[in-house]
Amino acid sequence: MDFFFQQLVNGITLGGVYALVALGYTMVYGIIQLINFAHGEIFAAGGYMGVILISWLFAQGYPPFLCLGVALLLAMGYCALLAMALEKLAYKPLRQSSRLSVLLSALGMSIFLQNGLMLTQGVYDRAYPGEMVQGGFEVGTVMISYMQIIIVAVTVLLLVALNLLVFKTRIGKAMRATAQDKTMSGLVGINSGRIISITFAIGAALAAAAGIMVGLYYGSVRYDMGFVPGIKAFSAAVLGGIGNITGAMLGGLIIGMIEVFAAGYISSEYKDVFAFIILIAVLYFMPTGIMGENVDDTRV
Amino acid sequence: MKRALYLLSVLLLASFVVAGCGKKDEKKAEASKAGITIGSLGPLTGQYAADGNDIKNGVLAAIEVMNPEMGAQGPVNLQAEDDACDPRQAVAAANKLINEKATAVIGAYCSSATIPASEPLIAAKIFMITPASTNEKVTERGMPYMFRTCGRDDDQSKAAVKFMTDQLKSKTIYIVDDKTTYSQGLADNIEKLAASSGLKVLGHEHVNQGDKDYSAVLTKVKAAKPDVFYVSLQNSASAAPMLIQIGRMGIKSKILAQDAVYHPQLIELAKKDAEGVFLTFGYTDKTTPAYQKFADAYKKYGEPGAYSAYAYDSTIAYLKAVKAAGSTDPEKVKAEMMKLDFDGASKHMKYRENGDSGSNYVIQVIKDGKFTNYWNPENGELFK
Amino acid sequence: MTIRASKLWFGYAVAMAWFYVLLWPLLGIKAAGLEFAASFAIWSKVAVAAAICLVLYQVKQAGAFNFLTKPTERVGEAASAAFRRVPTWLSLAVVLALAVIFPLFTERYAHDVAISILVYIILGLGLNIVVGMAGLLDLGYIAFFGVGAYTYALLSVHFGLSFWLCLPIAASFSALAGCLIGYPTLRMRGDYLAIVTLGFGEIVRIVINNWMSLTNGPNGVLGIKPPGAYWFNGASLEHVWLNHLEQLYYIILALAVFTVLAVYRLNYSRIGRAFEAVREDQTAAELMGVNTLRIKLLAYALGAVFGGLAGTFFAARMQFVSPESFTFIESAMVLAMVVLGGMGSIPGVILGAVALIALPEVFRGFELYRMFVFGGVMAAMMIFRPKGLWPAKRLGARSEERE
Repeated sequence: MDFFFQQLVNGITLGGVYALVALGYTMVYGIIQLINFAHGEIFAAGGYMGVILISWLFAQGYPPFLCLGVALLLAMGYCALLAMALEKLAYKPLRQSSRLSVLLSALGMSIFLQNGLMLTQGVYDRAYPGEMVQGGFEVGTVMISYMQIIIVAVTVLLLVALNLLVFKTRIGKAMRATAQDKTMSGLVGINSGRIISITFAIGAALAAAAGIMVGLYYGSVRYDMGFVPGIKAFSAAVLGGIGNITGAMLGGLIIGMIEVFAAGYISSEYKDVFAFIILIAVLYFMPTGIMGENVDDTRV
Repeated sequence: MKRALYLLSVLLLASFVVAGCGKKDEKKAEASKAGITIGSLGPLTGQYAADGNDIKNGVLAAIEVMNPEMGAQGPVNLQAEDDACDPRQAVAAANKLINEKATAVIGAYCSSATIPASEPLIAAKIFMITPASTNEKVTERGMPYMFRTCGRDDDQSKAAVKFMTDQLKSKTIYIVDDKTTYSQGLADNIEKLAASSGLKVLGHEHVNQGDKDYSAVLTKVKAAKPDVFYVSLQNSASAAPMLIQIGRMGIKSKILAQDAVYHPQLIELAKKDAEGVFLTFGYTDKTTPAYQKFADAYKKYGEPGAYSAYAYDSTIAYLKAVKAAGSTDPEKVKAEMMKLDFDGASKHMKYRENGDSGSNYVIQVIKDGKFTNYWNPENGELFK
Repeated sequence: MTIRASKLWFGYAVAMAWFYVLLWPLLGIKAAGLEFAASFAIWSKVAVAAAICLVLYQVKQAGAFNFLTKPTERVGEAASAAFRRVPTWLSLAVVLALAVIFPLFTERYAHDVAISILVYIILGLGLNIVVGMAGLLDLGYIAFFGVGAYTYALLSVHFGLSFWLCLPIAASFSALAGCLIGYPTLRMRGDYLAIVTLGFGEIVRIVINNWMSLTNGPNGVLGIKPPGAYWFNGASLEHVWLNHLEQLYYIILALAVFTVLAVYRLNYSRIGRAFEAVREDQTAAELMGVNTLRIKLLAYALGAVFGGLAGTFFAARMQFVSPESFTFIESAMVLAMVVLGGMGSIPGVILGAVALIALPEVFRGFELYRMFVFGGVMAAMMIFRPKGLWPAKRLGARSEERE
């Protein structure tokens, strides 16, 4: 039973990270129906910003938690700017073209950003400085580290903040309206270009937070760290029902759990196979994901 | 359709022109680029870029050292090619090196790139000296110009098992690998040997390359409570998070790893979680003059990686052979290669008939943030 | 005009300021302190380059280059007019002849790249059936390539079957795999299809990687035989291995020509029309009596056949296969060829394959910057030619263009 609870803790941590990244995919998809392949790279950029800023702040002698907090906010801001630039440069000119063209532009930007990170930051892993967050406690024999608690806490905090933003504010209302119908929302005075920019920025900020969490949890970052979580998070977004914010959170958690339990109870080498099989099975019986999709019916 | 055809023919014509120019350039280059061209092959981009760059830098350092000695045969030029550890790109790069008239290629890193790339290279009578591919098949295909400077998987597993039974006196082990030609080949060897030496294998798990979350597997290891946890991962970048999570999970078993995780960045990344980790590694006496010479030449590229010294020695060996032969004629150089007998930076260099240079694995331990020689399987004694 | 110009320069200023804000933290923040020199050096170069481009653009808009562009345009028009008078069969013959004599003029590196390009042309044309003709987004296409490659590899190593015999066997295995993958996806649309096919592609790769007893896992399969042939050497028939690059080049050229012909014929067949109908409007197609489920399965199967053929050749050419050749990024590359070239257009896909395989090779000179430049160029090509290098000409608009 302890084994089960330990895996549960592991699964929640992993799922929380996937959920944060999945939100970026799902929000962008909801509003412009684009699978933003470069989202994984934004996640990596967030991780790097975390290392860079924390190293600097740490060297100035600030206490660890202050470093972490400030770096988190600055990295989120940085990635928001990066994503907005990406949107203006690579996606906006293609707003009127086929969706596959935008997809490929996103793929190109993903390769570009990943190698840009490699060129500026080097091919070696970068470590987080000092002993940022150490230790943990045991419940029975179940080990819970403080880092896991921080990850879950930050994830929950950000998810609540996002929900408030999307469902309680004017900007959130405008985002939902734009996602439903760009033309109509334009007619009632919503600047859809600006709303799309904001959506990219928010998704990127969440990915940046996830990047820092992952970097801290595994102790290091590296320029290609965005690729695998990117694909997993994308699966999570689809599993939950792409375009659906609650779905993405749920999807992230489910994918994290499947992975951990498949590895724990069945076979770690086939864990991704199980994740994909469950994804395919769910989509077979519920073709629009668990929570259903949130966008109108326009497809490739 | 017609415009497309038009464009196609223009493109084809253009490629002829480019190819033609390439030829001309080559001739020009041949005239101006007298001397020897050595190719290096390894992953300069992608997941294993760090190791590929270590190899390239090792070759560069060696060329710098040897250039003044080459006399009229010099200067030695380097043509560094990227294979991204992808068989297709490795073969393309090999063919490019043949075009560039390289006479020897130092590389590649992944065994799965070395094996296919060796086919066209050896057929073109170009020496291929791998500083990093430890898979047995690399040299066991009877290829005349294939050499290997690092050790072999089967030797490494023998040293590891001997250490576990004789020194650690352990009864049970748990094995994990990340499914590459190298890491899994080694782990399988360990499993076989362990069973025949009376070690009980409690489990053998595989993780995927590029994974960073090992919590599920580690929870299993923790529950199994093995005496030794054998970690066979492809590089230090995947090993560091593993060590951190082992520490966080509170696993008390002794940890034994292999040579691919050897890299200064392992300690930098895993910090205190790397302390006390054992690993098998080719014995390098860092006090020899040959090593000092290498360390001085390598200084500007940073800390040497796991394969930097092997790449350095491979290059030195080839250039020494060329110098002795007085030409780059493959037959003559091959004869000289077999006669080589000198102290390299990494080990004593002497190639055998099949191209191997022998293994000299010892056990190292990470102590006070440094890789330290710990135990010698040859005589079963601790290093002082 | 002046208002436009000032707006342009204002945009330039904002963009450059933005760029610096993004660049500086990556290069300038060090644990030791803040630096500005390195990031400023790069930034100033980019800023100057962008400014020059902008000036050139403005000068061009003002018509200062008319003396240059007008005559070249006229020459171009004359050339294309002259070209239009050449019958299609003649230009096709010229292209084919050029392709046939290509190895005589070039060295082995060029042969090797050409072989890669031809392999990817077959892959691109195969995927084009699924994506371009039937409109089903497939992100796991490389799985069929893998199935074909492993089919031949295993049959050759264990049973010594010849390459020519294995071509149809591998193709049918791939087709079977195509049906298996196609079946559960029949009810899904658009991006759900994308993730499911991606998942299948990964499943195939992971299974190949883990099924040690069959595939030898990550170690790959060694000792695959190249294609063989019987050669009359004056006295008797002699069996030879075709493992020289020129010989392999002609084999893959023949396969590619076969693929082009097959896809061309398919395009104008009943099935091709049915594919198109399904792509444009599934409901309407069904009403017109098209069995959409069967047609979709057929699209997957046909696409997979060409993937399998290419895979068989790939295994024979490398004489070695390992799971590393069948990763997601390869699927993405093949898809990029199809979209970059122009969906549904045969010459477009060929151009796309030439561009995407040749470019990274051309960029080899850039060393570390190779993939960086490649990614940028790929995005730029999409932005400047969103419909592909050579879009297919079709009657009526496609659904995704109308969106």
